[in-house]
Amino acid sequence: MRSRLATTLFLAACVLVAVPTAARAQSLLFDYVGFDYENPKAPGSQFGDAGNGYVGLGTVPFLFAPLVSNTTLNEYTFVIDGLTSTGFVTVGPFRVVNYTPGTLTIYEDAKSGGTTADFGTSPPNLVAPPTFTDGTAILVGQLTDFRFAIDNSNGTGSFEAVFTVTGGTQSGNFPLNQRVGWTFSGSTGNALNIPAGYAHQIDGQAFLNEPVSVRRTSWGRLKAGYR
Amino acid sequence: MKRWITNLGAALLLALPAGQALAVGPMMDWDPAYFYFPAPQPVGLSPANQPAGAIMRCVGQISLFGPPLDFLNANLATKEYTFFIGDLTSLGTITAANGSLEAYITNYSGGTFTLYEDPARNSVFAPNPENGQVPSTFTDGSAPLLIGTFTGLTVTTNNFTQFKVGSIEGNIQWTGGTLIGELTGGGNEPCPGLFTGGATWNTSPNIGIPGYMFRHDGKLDLQCPTAARKSTWGKLKTLYR
Repeated sequence: MRSRLATTLFLAACVLVAVPTAARAQSLLFDYVGFDYENPKAPGSQFGDAGNGYVGLGTVPFLFAPLVSNTTLNEYTFVIDGLTSTGFVTVGPFRVVNYTPGTLTIYEDAKSGGTTADFGTSPPNLVAPPTFTDGTAILVGQLTDFRFAIDNSNGTGSFEAVFTVTGGTQSGNFPLNQRVGWTFSGSTGNALNIPAGYAHQIDGQAFLNEPVSVRRTSWGRLKAGYR
Repeated sequence: MKRWITNLGAALLLALPAGQALAVGPMMDWDPAYFYFPAPQPVGLSPANQPAGAIMRCVGQISLFGPPLDFLNANLATKEYTFFIGDLTSLGTITAANGSLEAYITNYSGGTFTLYEDPARNSVFAPNPENGQVPSTFTDGSAPLLIGTFTGLTVTTNNFTQFKVGSIEGNIQWTGGTLIGELTGGGNEPCPGLFTGGATWNTSPNIGIPGYMFRHDGKLDLQCPTAARKSTWGKLKTLYR
């Protein structure tokens, strides 16, 4: 009885088998801009050395459906953290750094009565990250396959990651079959407005993949696939 | 010797930052911009190979202004701010490799950046530029607000990123436009601009557009030197007493 129930459940799950389409349309979910730094950072280490943590924070000036926002009344900020370098490979002038999974969280904070985001200097400090993490966490996403490529000859670079919605007060806006996307950002160490103690200026976007489609089938066809 | 060192130290301290609030936001942010290579395109052109002599152009829509242009509002229904980058010339692509991992670096010479204000929100990233809408719907409107010349621009791509991402960054010397006077940062000459951001050659629908090589998510910062304030030896000494 128990075995049959398990089989039935398994087959039921398989009936709703996910079928990714070949060329999936994606949609812009949010746009962010800010600065990054390493924490923890081993004394004397270079950016991306194994064991160093990566933190990015800043503002989110544009948010798109299914996120609901009001940028007139609220300030939206983001924090990327929890990422730890697992080491790097060198490709010419590039250092290509891989990281453990982390998170990207978007916070909503009322402009009236809230705290304006302030980078300060030499983060972490009294205002950063705290002025970026106050308010309501409206979206929490896991970052996996986070990879940062930086050209040490000219200070420019970029990063990318898979972004998967895992929480936040607006996570319910995302259909269960549309919670995966990706993010990328450019980075530069050449901007003169980088506050002291920060490594790079970053400017990125996150995209949401289109819903993962399911297809109806019959028990007979499904069973035939396993014979 | 000791006095020489003291004098040097004091001289350096005289140029201390003025303590002004640092403008950390970009002067302008776009969302998005697309780079393309007008016909006739050179043989072998790809994100990994931009042959010497290839001409690259770009059109973009400004989504946000910051200081010193924060008096402009990019979100008004009655105005549109766009830019056009003309005639960057590839100096050829250099490949750096480590086993199967490859990075591609392409430097460009020349190129102009022009910012426009248009009463009609009509710009369209029509596929396969150049055509009846690109770049014309990005270059219409008033007299240019800003005109600048690139003093260098670098495109970096690779074969090891999952989502095909790299960066495009360049420096701009401002030469004209009705708002050039806003870019002096308190000095006499306009401060240079830093054009920077991530680029993707991902061709997925809604990311890439047929006929364009790169989608660029970036911004432009004004690179004004850190402000200094004049002082006297007396005032300086009192700080250390």
